[in-house]
Amino acid sequence: MIYRELGKVIYNEEIAEGIYKTVFESPEISSSSLPGQFVNILPCPDWQQVMRRPMSIASQGNDEICIIYKAVGEGTRIMANWPIGEKVDLIGPLGNYWEGLESCFPIIIGGGVGIAPILNLHHLLLEKQIDHSLIMGARYKGEHFLKHEPQNKIFLSTDDGSLGIEGNVVDALISIYPNSNHPHNTKIFSCGPPMMMEGVRNYSLENQLECDFALETIMACGIGICQGCTVERKVTESNSHSYRNRFALACMDGPIFSGREIISCM
Amino acid sequence: MHVKIRDIEFSSPLLTASGTYGYGHEVKDMVDVNQWGGIITKSVTRNPREGNPPPRIAETSSGMLNSIGLANLGVEKYCKEIIPFLNELQTKVIINIAGSAMEDYLETLDILEATDGKHVGYEINISCPNVKKGGMEFGVSCDMTEQLTKDMRKRTDRLLIMKLGPNVTSIEDIAQAAEAGGADAVSAINTVVGMTIDIKTCKPTLYTNYGGLSGPAIKPIAIANVHKVYKAVKIPVIGIGGIATVQDVVEFLLAGASLVQIGTMNYQNPDLGVQLREKLSEYYSQNGIEKTEDLIGKVEYHSN
Repeated sequence: MIYRELGKVIYNEEIAEGIYKTVFESPEISSSSLPGQFVNILPCPDWQQVMRRPMSIASQGNDEICIIYKAVGEGTRIMANWPIGEKVDLIGPLGNYWEGLESCFPIIIGGGVGIAPILNLHHLLLEKQIDHSLIMGARYKGEHFLKHEPQNKIFLSTDDGSLGIEGNVVDALISIYPNSNHPHNTKIFSCGPPMMMEGVRNYSLENQLECDFALETIMACGIGICQGCTVERKVTESNSHSYRNRFALACMDGPIFSGREIISCM
Repeated sequence: MHVKIRDIEFSSPLLTASGTYGYGHEVKDMVDVNQWGGIITKSVTRNPREGNPPPRIAETSSGMLNSIGLANLGVEKYCKEIIPFLNELQTKVIINIAGSAMEDYLETLDILEATDGKHVGYEINISCPNVKKGGMEFGVSCDMTEQLTKDMRKRTDRLLIMKLGPNVTSIEDIAQAAEAGGADAVSAINTVVGMTIDIKTCKPTLYTNYGGLSGPAIKPIAIANVHKVYKAVKIPVIGIGGIATVQDVVEFLLAGASLVQIGTMNYQNPDLGVQLREKLSEYYSQNGIEKTEDLIGKVEYHSN
């Protein structure tokens, strides 16, 4: 079931440099969404642009949903300025969700715009008491809002070394698991900037690790109508019956794709 | 508010534009689809089409550029998977057909005609700018437009609507060719050829370089074309291009449209057609308009 609901803003703060967290009271979407899914947001009622803004859900429950996003363009800047009590037009929950968590050791990797679905997955794994590692990357200390806690398998990395492990998230992987010494049955789950995800994907494939990515694409409708949010997949015989085999839709067939099935994260 | 095209009555002049509302079932959780005057479904072709590589869409000022490339499941699957749902709808259904050769259009039509569908008509896409042989060769040629219309006319008694584009020398000539071929109506306009360039990479934003521009940005172009077509033919005109408000609907009616289609703005508001139906009804009562006909083509020129 897809809901269109006016979500009431009950929290909206900058939690790190340029990174915002908004909590909506949105009972229908909250009670029906699963970690990994997204909502399509209309930043304001007199929005002059024709496209909503898709945002991954960072947490759901208690009639609330939370999103975490970087203020980068006109839409996200409007969002960052929503006052408490603002009613926001939301469509959701949309897309698929994180799966295949039980029979593996998850290493979950986020960064930049991809923090939300990774945090949601982190909380899901904690709830299910599934042992896992979390790696969160940023350019510098100011962009982080978590604590670097290697003893709890929470690792932060910064490009400039100002917090946690110096380097990008792949450097962090190499430093945490030298000589590809990953736990048995490791599976990678990742979301972040395309370049970052492609680095993680290459690392995963080189190390023969299963890997799932929550991809971000340009998107208009979010419900499979406009066919704009395309992700190119390798065409195999097993999936050669559908016109969407090669050009899958991030909104319907994703946003989560196996790293093995797609051509690239970029 | 009802409007009749030939013998088919639409409960309001508001229809969905092809490609912007899927097959109607995508929004069924959120919208009472039957509140629309009619649903025009996404283009169907003889064979499945995977469409163009990404990126396929880009946002522009008050508009959107697309080069989807008629991605669709093909007519055989359409008959099996889509028609049963469409048959359940209470509103009028018009099936949009696209093709790259005369036989494609005709075979697709034959297969649809042989299926037990409740649809009231066909809209024929002869003006998609996004495929190399996407009907554009029909839509820019009067002879081919007339021939295709004639051949389709022979095969169906359902409403036959030819969809015209603005990317031609004279849209009036093409409209007259469709009329001569026996079309019941023409719809205008399809998207306007456009291009955007990423200044960081110096590459066009869309993989196909060019795409089709839609949304409020093209409304004045659409109004002009609808009015030109209205003056050139006797068959009804269906207006399309950037409708977002009830004022826009009235503007199209005044320009000469008998019905209108709502497209790109459905992405922002899937319920727009239902809301505009109420607002249009209010507009009629506030302005003493008894029937839609009283507005059609009633633009008054400046005297000079």
